Amino acid sequence: MADFIKNPVVELPERNPAPSFPASELVFTDAEKAQIAEYVERYPTADGAIMRALWLAQEKFGYLPPDVIKLAAEEVGMPYAKAYGVATFYTQYYKKKMGAHVLDVCTCFSCQICGGYDMLHYLENKLGIHKGETTEDGQFSIQEVECLGACGSAPMLQVTNGSYVHNLTTDKVDALIDALREGKSWPFESVTLPQDEDDLGGNRRTDVTATETYQTPPASETIA
Amino acid sequence: MPSVTIDGQTFEFEGRPGLLQFCLQHGLEVPHFCYHPAMSAPANCRQCLVDVGTPEMDRETRQPRLDEAGNPVIRFFPKLQTSCTMEITDGMVVKSHRSSEAVERAQKDNLELLLINHPLDCPICDQAGHCPLQIQAYKYGPEGSRFEFEKVNKPKHIPLGPQVMLDGERCINCTRCVRFTTEISESHQLTIIERGVRNYPMTPPGVTFDEPYSMNVIDICPVGALTSRDSRFKARIWEMSRTASVTTGGANGNNCYYWVKDNQIMKVTPRDNPSVNEYWLPDEERLDYHRFNDDRPEGPAIGKIKTDWNAAYDAAASLLKDADASRVVFMGSAYATVEDNYLLMKLAASLGADAPTYIPHIEEGHGDDWLRTDDRSPNREGCERLGMMPAGDSLAARLNAGEVDVLYVLEEDPVAAGLATTEQLANVRVILHAYNTTNQTMPAADVFLPAATVVETVGTFVNHKGHAQRVRPAKAIRGMNRTLMMEVGKSRADLHGTPFDRWHDESNLVDCQPGWVSLPAVAIRLGHAMDYRGPKYIMHEIADSIDAFDGATYAAMGEQGVRLEDVGAAV
Repeated sequence: MADFIKNPVVELPERNPAPSFPASELVFTDAEKAQIAEYVERYPTADGAIMRALWLAQEKFGYLPPDVIKLAAEEVGMPYAKAYGVATFYTQYYKKKMGAHVLDVCTCFSCQICGGYDMLHYLENKLGIHKGETTEDGQFSIQEVECLGACGSAPMLQVTNGSYVHNLTTDKVDALIDALREGKSWPFESVTLPQDEDDLGGNRRTDVTATETYQTPPASETIA
Repeated sequence: MPSVTIDGQTFEFEGRPGLLQFCLQHGLEVPHFCYHPAMSAPANCRQCLVDVGTPEMDRETRQPRLDEAGNPVIRFFPKLQTSCTMEITDGMVVKSHRSSEAVERAQKDNLELLLINHPLDCPICDQAGHCPLQIQAYKYGPEGSRFEFEKVNKPKHIPLGPQVMLDGERCINCTRCVRFTTEISESHQLTIIERGVRNYPMTPPGVTFDEPYSMNVIDICPVGALTSRDSRFKARIWEMSRTASVTTGGANGNNCYYWVKDNQIMKVTPRDNPSVNEYWLPDEERLDYHRFNDDRPEGPAIGKIKTDWNAAYDAAASLLKDADASRVVFMGSAYATVEDNYLLMKLAASLGADAPTYIPHIEEGHGDDWLRTDDRSPNREGCERLGMMPAGDSLAARLNAGEVDVLYVLEEDPVAAGLATTEQLANVRVILHAYNTTNQTMPAADVFLPAATVVETVGTFVNHKGHAQRVRPAKAIRGMNRTLMMEVGKSRADLHGTPFDRWHDESNLVDCQPGWVSLPAVAIRLGHAMDYRGPKYIMHEIADSIDAFDGATYAAMGEQGVRLEDVGAAV
C-alpha cells in the first residue's frame, strides 16, 4: 500500500499551511544567531550555511515546518525558496513532527537486494504503522530512505539521524525496538572488514565497545 | 587564430566561447533542454553530450604530439562531455551525433530516460507543436520505451500564480524556470522540491508565483510543464500565424510576436532583441491584447449614425474647411505611429492651424528600470522627436473660453485623460480616430473614424531610449489585406502564409483604417495632396526632412530596430 513502486503518487505539499509556532516562539536566541553567523563565515557564500542552520533549527524546534525553514533562511540571508528546496531534498530534515525515535530504513540498491524492503515491512507490521507515519504513542516514526552509505552491512537502518544498525535481521529489529522502548540508545557500532578481524586483531578503533564485522551472507540467511 | 574542428569542419574562434553556443551560432544543431544563453549552465538535462578531444601535448617540448602522418594526436575525454559547459580550446576536436555513434546512442538513451515518467499527453498539451522535448524525441529519440511500470503521478494543473499553470508530470527538471527567478528576475519564488523521481518545480509554502515577469518561464520551459493560464487550450500553435512586432503597453518597445487565429490575437510572446528586451516580456504586455479583439467599432460614423468611409471623410473635411484655422485644435498621440503623427502635423500645417500636441501617459512608480516603464505609451519619444509638445491645461481653458470650434483627435482619448469633459465638448465639432468603442471621447464625436491598432498597421515607434522599431500588420482589416500593403511576402517561409493562416478568413475583420490611409483621404478633400505609396515612403520623407530621424529608414530598422543616434540622427 505504501509502496511507491505499486502506487507512485507524489503528493502536493500544503501550499498555504497555518503557522506551526506562535510568532513569539519563532525566533532564534542571540546565542543561536551568533552560532549561525559563525556558520555563514565558514563558507564562500552565505547559502552554504543553510544546511547547518537548518540542523540547528531542527534541534531547537524538533522539526522543520515551512515557517521554521523561512526563519533559518532569513537568518542565513538566502532566498526562502532555495532553502525550502534544500530542506525537502534531505530525508534527514523532518518536514513534519516525528516520533521520539525515527527509524530510517534504507531501501536503496544494496539494501534492497539484501532484504531492505523485508526489514521495512517487518518494522511496519511490528509497529502497526506505514512508512511516513508515527505510532500513536509518539514513540516511533518510520521513513524509507535512500542510500546511507553503509552498503557493506546491508540491510541497515539509522536511528534518529544517529547511530546505524547494521546487518539487520528480524531478531535485531526486535532487539532494537525493545531497547528503544526501555529508553536505551543504540550504541555506535564500528564495522570492520573481515580481513581486519583476522589480520589486524579485530576492531582498530579503541574508543568504541560495540563492534561488528561486515558479512555478506545470502539474502535468505539474512532474513529470518 | 585558434581553431576547433566540429564533425570534420574547422572553425576559427576568438576568446573562450562555450561549445554548445558556438555550435548553435554556426548552425550546427545540438539537442539540449536546460541550456539557455541568458542563464548559467547547470548541465543537468544531459542531452547535449558530445565526444571531445584535445591535442596531446609533449610535456618537454610543450608542442602537440604528431602521429606518423604528421597530424596532431587527439586524446579524447574518457566519457562524453556536456557541450553546454565545455569551453572551446585551440585544436579541440568535437564529434557530435552527426559523426559519432556513441553520441547518437547517448542522446537516444538520455531521451528514453527523460521520457520514462513523462505522460506523453501531447494531444492535449499546449506545448505540442513547438515543444523541444517532442521535437527532439522525434529527431533523436528511441522508437519506444522499455519501461513497462506505472509512471510516477505528480501534481497536475496546479496554479503556481495568477498566470502560470504547472503540470508536474511533464517536467523534466531542467531548472530553467528556477534559474529565471534566481538569475534574471530575482524574485526567488520557485525552487525544485523533493528529490529523485519525486521532484518538480514549486513555490515554497505561502508563496505565490506572482512576479510581474512570471510568464517568461512559460516560454523557456522546454516541455509543457508550465503553461499560460490565459491562453491555454485556446489555440494550437499550428493554427496560428505569428508576426514580428513590438508591444505598446510601455515605452520600452519590447519586441514580440503577435499570434493570430481567425483574425483574433490569441497570445503575445517575446521576440529576441539583445538591444531592447533580450528574451523577455513582462506579463502585463502579454495580457494586453484583448483590446485588439474586443470593443472594436463597427465602422465609421457621422454623429451616431453608421456611414461609409467616403461620407465620413467628406464630413471631416467639410468640418475642417468651414472652420477658422485658429479655432481648430489638432491632437496627436503617443499611441500612434511616427508616420501617422507626421501626417497629422502636415495636415495641421496645411490648414494653418497650431501644431498638434500629444497627451503623455505617465504612471509614476509603474516602471522598474527593466522592461516596464512609467510611461505607458509606446511612442512618446517619437512624438517629441517630431517636435510635438505635450498637451497642457490650455485646452480646457480654451474650451471654456469658447475658443475652439473643431477638435481633431488622432487615436487618443482626451476625455479619459482628463483634458476635457463631454460637456465642454458639447459645442465643439469633434473628429475622432479611435481604436475602441470604450473611448470616452466617442460620445462627443461628430465624425468617428475607426483607427487601425498596432496589430493592423505599418509604422514606426521610438522607444524611450531612442530605439526606432517597425510594427507590422498581424491581422487583416476590412478593405485591406497585407499583400496590398506590400509589407509582407506571400511565401510560406515567412511564417505568415501557412495553409492554416486565417488571412483569407472573412470572420472578425474590423472595419477600420490606419492613419496613413485616413489622414491623406481627409487632406486630399481639403485640396492638400498627400500622395504616398505607403508608410515606408512617409518614413523616407521624415528621415530626409527631420534631423531627429536622420537615417531612420525601414531598411535600417529591419527586424531589430535601430538606435537613432547610431544612424546619425540628432538627439
